[in-house]
Amino acid sequence: MVYFPESSIIITKDGLYCQVYSNEHPEGYIIVKPKYIPTTKISGISLPSRFIGGKKVNRLDLWTNVDALKKYIDDFSRHYPQYILKNSMYEKSPLFFAVSESNVDKVYFPRDGLKELMDMPKIDLDSHLESVVGLVSFLLKSGLKLSDLGLTYSTLMGHYSPEKSDINIVVYGKDNYWKLMKFLTNNKDKDLEWKSYEQWESHYRKRHRVMIEDKEIYINNMYRKKSEGFFRKTLFVIFAAEEPDDVWFKWGEERYKSLGIATISGRVVDHYNSCVRPGLYEITDSKIISGERSEDIEIKKVVFYSRDYSGIVYSGESIEASGLLEEVTPKYGEKYYRLVVGYFDTYLSERRGKEYIKIVS
Amino acid sequence: MEHFYESLLIDTEEGIQCKVYSNSHPEGMIVVKPKYVPEEGISFKNLKKRYLFEKALFRFNLFTDVKATAHNLAEFRKRFPDYFYESEKHDNWFIVVPREKIKKIHDPKEGLRELIKIPLSDLDNYLRAVRGLIELISQSGVALEKLGINHSTLLGNYTLGKSDIDIVVYGKENGWKILDFLERAEHPSLRWKTEEDWRKYYRDRIVSKNFDENEYVANMVQKKDDGFFDGNVFSIFVVEEPEEVWYDWEDKHIPLATVKMSGKILEDYNSIVRPGYYEIGDSKILKGYPDLPIKRIVTWSRPFILQAKKGDSVECVGLLEEVETKSGDKFQQIVLGYFDAYTNERGEKEYLKKLIG
Repeated sequence: MVYFPESSIIITKDGLYCQVYSNEHPEGYIIVKPKYIPTTKISGISLPSRFIGGKKVNRLDLWTNVDALKKYIDDFSRHYPQYILKNSMYEKSPLFFAVSESNVDKVYFPRDGLKELMDMPKIDLDSHLESVVGLVSFLLKSGLKLSDLGLTYSTLMGHYSPEKSDINIVVYGKDNYWKLMKFLTNNKDKDLEWKSYEQWESHYRKRHRVMIEDKEIYINNMYRKKSEGFFRKTLFVIFAAEEPDDVWFKWGEERYKSLGIATISGRVVDHYNSCVRPGLYEITDSKIISGERSEDIEIKKVVFYSRDYSGIVYSGESIEASGLLEEVTPKYGEKYYRLVVGYFDTYLSERRGKEYIKIVS
Repeated sequence: MEHFYESLLIDTEEGIQCKVYSNSHPEGMIVVKPKYVPEEGISFKNLKKRYLFEKALFRFNLFTDVKATAHNLAEFRKRFPDYFYESEKHDNWFIVVPREKIKKIHDPKEGLRELIKIPLSDLDNYLRAVRGLIELISQSGVALEKLGINHSTLLGNYTLGKSDIDIVVYGKENGWKILDFLERAEHPSLRWKTEEDWRKYYRDRIVSKNFDENEYVANMVQKKDDGFFDGNVFSIFVVEEPEEVWYDWEDKHIPLATVKMSGKILEDYNSIVRPGYYEIGDSKILKGYPDLPIKRIVTWSRPFILQAKKGDSVECVGLLEEVETKSGDKFQQIVLGYFDAYTNERGEKEYLKKLIG
């Protein structure tokens, strides 16, 4: 069990750009999503290409054509077996990508990067960096400290495009994240705008929610999210990363057994951990609507790896979710059941269009 | 003596990004100019900062005022003493990266090979312009394997609509072939600065006290290593292959004086690289030292590359040196753009210009 904050960027010795995908990690490894992969060993025809650090790289788009993605991941597993986690926590492990410490070439830490940026003389900033500094200065009015925030992705790595790139902010600590959301919800700052109906509609299409959710309900739910918006016309996205003392699970302290696909319903009793990856909605009054297991078992947790579901439901609200049902045996305590949405291998089958979490009225 | 291509970028163990400043180098080290320097433990003056790769870095610049440059170089030397090479054979110093401090070399050829593999639909307008320029240059007959992309184009930290496109050409023959081709090429995206553009440039900035407007325009308008492609400024950097390196670090250089001289260009073939030189005839020392025959004008400064052509009459101010080669030949040359010139009054006096009228 090792802590390493989510949303940091790792460049491996063989040139993969990886996004840290969890806050808790198995000993000696860091769970990641490969974001950009060199095309020297493998190439994905349907994956978009980018030119980064002098290399042609493929951007791993999990929503590309399913057969092409499956072939690409097969190739990846053959050519980069060192990045496929052999995971003893699962009876049959879902796909996890992980970088061993010995394969790390460089780590971009969002917190350090933001501190460096905020110390820059204003005169030396371009328009994008000016917006970042402006946004961070504004967010600090919430009462958070600079050390509670970080900066990630293209801005951190230096291959952003002014007028095009998003601003990606990391908030360290879940209390801090919710405090910031409250601050943003109540704020009417002139530089701040929220996504319009049309913009959420475009998101709805891009993220393939069209297959599983009613558009109006989806958009109404997304309107409540204050983790995405515009600051001085630039799109910003706020992510939360857990601090070492507030991780909600420790790697290796539970064992998981798959019980097959299921659609369930329930009522959220705690949404506090829904802002991180993996995210968690604790539920009660669960019911299996359909699935391979129909007997009455009580599901306590809905866990997700896709950011789309972070912070969309609040305590007291009812949800419906479809994903992989798992029996969980903790090292200490009683056996329980959970539903997991968004394991990587979900995207390699027809399951990817069928998994979801949504509010039900 | 070692070969290492000029203009390439090197990342060092200390996190400094350096630009290679020569094609030949003293044994065990690479002559460089620092480009980006981390701010820890160093106090520079009058330098801008850039936010690159999660760090606030100083953009090292030799063209600030003399006092600030002297201060900055002294600071750099204090913090990184290993990066200074005191050359007994020059009675001067150079900034270098010791071989063992090299962390990463950014390879322009490999970068270009990778770039051309990317479908056009996945490229932004800047990278499309780079591809377009490469396609045009390839029509010169120079093989793609002799070309590379450099600096922000290579590293991917370019800014759309602002960054230059930097192209590396390997080999002087290839360099001349491309410049000759570009001078004659007609392409809807290719544009050169016109006389009027250069006049405006001269008027808008104090370019040099050593040129009047007409001289400046005449000197600049003939250069075809910088232009515009699809609205982006492009620069061609020609580098020497190992077998065509002319500069010998074993030669002994004795500095004599800062002088003003005139002469005629007998040969400009090596004026396309850094360091570059012009072979001179009919030389005359006009000021600063008794008249001696000058064999060549050497430039370490990129603005004086391709400044004059064969047959042009030129005038320059620079450091007069006596050179004694390994084989015992002795001759005199003028040198412009040694690092130390940026820290004293010689730097402000140095120039090379084609004489007009």
